[in-house]
Amino acid sequence: MVHALGEIHRVLASGGVLIDLRPLCDRWSIEVFSARETRHTGHITDLPPGLEDDTAANRAMHQAEINGWFIREKEAFFPLHYVWDTASDMEKWIDEEWVDFVGLDEETRRATRSTWALGDADSRVRVKVKMLLTRYRAIK
Amino acid sequence: MSARKDPEGNETKHLHQFADFAGKRVLEIGCGEGRLTWRYASASALTVGLDPDKNALRVARIDRPSDLADKVHFINSHAETIPFHKETFDIALLAWSL
Repeated sequence: MVHALGEIHRVLASGGVLIDLRPLCDRWSIEVFSARETRHTGHITDLPPGLEDDTAANRAMHQAEINGWFIREKEAFFPLHYVWDTASDMEKWIDEEWVDFVGLDEETRRATRSTWALGDADSRVRVKVKMLLTRYRAIK
Repeated sequence: MSARKDPEGNETKHLHQFADFAGKRVLEIGCGEGRLTWRYASASALTVGLDPDKNALRVARIDRPSDLADKVHFINSHAETIPFHKETFDIALLAWSL
């Protein structure tokens, strides 16, 4: 990871900008929502591999700063929603696409299913992913 | 089973607040199928998307609008060996890839 950052530093012009955009494990919130209301049903469970990935990425960027390649200029967090039409669709996605780094406990599955089933006709399900956006300046 | 990702456009809004892509030479690391690429590339002078996944790059090339064919290119490579000379780019974007 640090080697890749060294390569990026090499191909960036003097004063160039590095943008690091990535999701962070942070017990993402799950909601059932419709035009009329929003109901929180639980949280995603962070799994050790996901947390370790975040730690490794943070450590690599820190090392790149220590190496004098980049200086951090600006940082922000923002929410990014993943939206599904049904609770079942959300569960399948998490079990198939995100299985390596997050999970979903039984209580949250049940709460989301029942809230969606009893909700308005236009109810959908969403996960609020925590995003990190950081801007670095290349130092030459 | 399909997910709609960021229907509010938060990612694009924040990205453009952090970087001015106008007239810049941009390297996107981990471009995948180009989902993020299409949100800034038209403003850039040159955009190169890098990804180790050949299948994802195939989709990106198919989706590339014809008016961007001259300035958006996709290369199958890892970030550990970026096949360009030093100081080629103004902006490097780590797109969900660090």
